[in-house]
Amino acid sequence: MVPKMNITALMDIFTILVFFLLVNSATTEVLETPKQITLPASVVEEKPRETIVIFISKNDVTVQGKSVVRTNDILQAETQNIDAIGQRLGELSENVIGLSTETIAQSREVTILADREVPFAVIKRVMSTCTSRGYEKISLAVLQKAPETRLSQN
Amino acid sequence: MTTFLNLMVVLVPFLLITAVFSRITIVELTLPAASGGATSVEPNFRIEVIVREAGLEISNAKTVIAVIPKVDGAYDLATLSDMVIALKREYPDSNDASVLLEPEIEYDHLIQVMDVVRSSILPRSSLDEADNPNQGDADDQGVIRIALFTDISIGDAP
Repeated sequence: MVPKMNITALMDIFTILVFFLLVNSATTEVLETPKQITLPASVVEEKPRETIVIFISKNDVTVQGKSVVRTNDILQAETQNIDAIGQRLGELSENVIGLSTETIAQSREVTILADREVPFAVIKRVMSTCTSRGYEKISLAVLQKAPETRLSQN
Repeated sequence: MTTFLNLMVVLVPFLLITAVFSRITIVELTLPAASGGATSVEPNFRIEVIVREAGLEISNAKTVIAVIPKVDGAYDLATLSDMVIALKREYPDSNDASVLLEPEIEYDHLIQVMDVVRSSILPRSSLDEADNPNQGDADDQGVIRIALFTDISIGDAP
């Protein structure tokens, strides 16, 4: 005869876990963590806002969902400003369909999500293209690092 | 009891898989518009941190104050942090700094250097005696985060 297993403790764990995960998934984020790139980590605490999103991975650059130009091409371009990105930004500020695209277009702000190994020259060119189109406020997205509570040196 | 268990067995793995444990935060920069805004009065002290392939340099816009070579193939951020804290103690009123990089430097290093220049942590007891941070006293919750140079601009290394 099989003795009955006492699973009260297991149910306790599961119950706590379910409640914790429900609360965790209830706090949704404005910007979701992209899977293809690894963002650098930093201790800053400002939350991201609803803006135009420029996504720079190791292979190509995407502005607000539409792939625009390849990262390698940016490195080889001679001018500081990248036309394809500039065009796409112009389209976005004109194609105001609904309320959310309008808030995004009027905020004149860009958020850049770049993989941590992207060379600085690429980021600089993208930033200068944005400023030349009037988007002066640029934010760089990073993963939030836990604040240190103890000095690690010495 | 088993019906409850069935529910848990389905719900917990699903929530675990879809749970997001890393948060995205942003570093805000404000760059001058391409049309050329008027720059404010030149401050008397500009600190620049230049990130080169070989190491870090700190300069005062005209002359190089310090050179920090790479340690073990990585930038020596601890020494940079100490020097920036010392510079902040000398010039407590200036809040702006520039971080200049060579074109091939990885974006991650830019963020790390900006972190070090923007703020730092100090043992709480060191604020009482301004001269020697009391390293022996850095026990739990004994550190606070202080702002160093919050207005950071980015540019190309000369």
